[in-house]
Amino acid sequence: MPHISRWSKGIGAELPKEYKKFWKEWKLQQPAAVHYIKKEGIFERNEETEEIHLVQNVPLPLIYPKEIDDGIWGGEAIVQGFKKKGRFKRRVPHFWIPNLNKSVVYSEVLDTYMRVVITQRALRLIHENYGFDHYLLKWRNYTYCNIIDRYIKFFSLITYTPACDLRSLLTLKLKRQILIALADKTLYLNDPKKHTEVYAKYEQYLSAYTREEIEWYGLTYKEACKKWMKLNEKPPQPLKIQYRSELIAKLKENKIKEAENVNVVSPGEMSSWLNKLNPFSKSSKT
Amino acid sequence: MLKFPRLLVNHVKALATPTSSSNADYLSQQTRIVKLFSYLFLFNFLQNTFILKRRNPVPLHKKNSKPHRLRSRNFIYDLVEDTNVKKKEPLDLILTQYVAGLGNVGTRVSLHPALAYPKLLLPKLADYATPENIEKYKKLAIDQENDKPFSSSLVEKTMKYLSHKRMSIVMSKDVPWTLEKWHIKANFRKAGIYLPEDTITMPEKPISGPNLDLQGKEFYVTITINNREQVKVRCCLHHWTSESSSQLRVNEFWKLPTDPIFPEDKPILDSLSPFWVERKKTTHF
Repeated sequence: MPHISRWSKGIGAELPKEYKKFWKEWKLQQPAAVHYIKKEGIFERNEETEEIHLVQNVPLPLIYPKEIDDGIWGGEAIVQGFKKKGRFKRRVPHFWIPNLNKSVVYSEVLDTYMRVVITQRALRLIHENYGFDHYLLKWRNYTYCNIIDRYIKFFSLITYTPACDLRSLLTLKLKRQILIALADKTLYLNDPKKHTEVYAKYEQYLSAYTREEIEWYGLTYKEACKKWMKLNEKPPQPLKIQYRSELIAKLKENKIKEAENVNVVSPGEMSSWLNKLNPFSKSSKT
Repeated sequence: MLKFPRLLVNHVKALATPTSSSNADYLSQQTRIVKLFSYLFLFNFLQNTFILKRRNPVPLHKKNSKPHRLRSRNFIYDLVEDTNVKKKEPLDLILTQYVAGLGNVGTRVSLHPALAYPKLLLPKLADYATPENIEKYKKLAIDQENDKPFSSSLVEKTMKYLSHKRMSIVMSKDVPWTLEKWHIKANFRKAGIYLPEDTITMPEKPISGPNLDLQGKEFYVTITINNREQVKVRCCLHHWTSESSSQLRVNEFWKLPTDPIFPEDKPILDSLSPFWVERKKTTHF
């Protein structure tokens, strides 16, 4: 029996593939190793016993609290686990929580300063990428299990930051705004010189996305559903218009005198009943 | 922190250029991959915050299958490193405009990120020293060579320091003299300020002595820094003799307000920065 999820039934199943791609990148992709050191290579040798065995990286389970959405944590999250200080000591539960600082970031594309809650790691990443916009649009990502896979994907993915590493809604929304501003060229409208300069600087990142993908980037499941419903909404058509036109057509077929001069009114013309109430119109339509 | 990750990435790309998939090439490809991932490992390692390690590692699972369910012993972690307490690498920046104490446009500075980010990067006084930015601002610096606000980065500070001073010019009480440049130079040297004689501009009228009417009165000299900036420094005349019985003693002379030697200098002397500011006494409980 197939597993029923929100992606296989209802609005979730109808959502466009662009949104599903973003969702996969955000929630299902394995984020970069932040809280543990990743072992590299295929095989590992135990120097004492000279045993050789496969290298397998099992990531630490992370907790993403709701506060992560209001800040820029740079891939960090809460780690829940135990501390054990000695052989004859009981293990003690412990939460490793990132240090959060208040700071300001500046986005060059949006030309705005923002007061945010940020970790030192995120600030370091901003500095390493030479700016907040560069950090959002691009970041090195090396999280693949298969080494050959890595070798192939290294080039295709080097240019952009996956959503799983940005993680928080705040950064994803900002990235969405930046991408939309770049795609529509709505940056620095008052300053044409700055406009061309900044656009030339960040133009390279647009190649990773189509316009449709940008449209669906950085939305939560709920927002995406609402957007989809709004797009596919059809205003209900009153049945009386349909029946009336059918009736007139029938009367015309039978060549009844009264129906000869009456035109079939299309639903567009019948848009509002207020038109009929106009006291200054000399002749009524019907 | 890496100074030029972009350059490094290019290097990595060059390392990892795809080769033909023949068996003979496989080994060289492998070594390349290993080299490549040593770089990547470096990147990851430098950026972490709480780096933890499982005390009891998870046993190996079958190929292409899910890892084993984690037992509670797999949740006992040891802290490997906390990078928040590690010393931070300085940021390499390039100035986009004149900054007091640092320099003019195009000067490269290296500062601690906690200082550089709020003070220079956010107000856009400086930018990251990327190869493109260096080229851009070096060009800008050459264009603006002639209309620099100050001749050097420390001039502003020096001017402020000098204008707050009241130099004591100590002259003989016994031997007749006329005030000359080398007197001023020597008295500045006593206060730890070394200047060549050609930078000093003396008052227009000559001052000669010993004349006890001039004792403790003010005049000013003008000092030129780097042949460009001019500062007026107030000086106070004092008579001195080696005979201790006839030495003039003034209590707390550094606080006393005095009259000018030339009455026409009064507005200029008044306009200079105050030479003595009483500090407020703070009471500690």
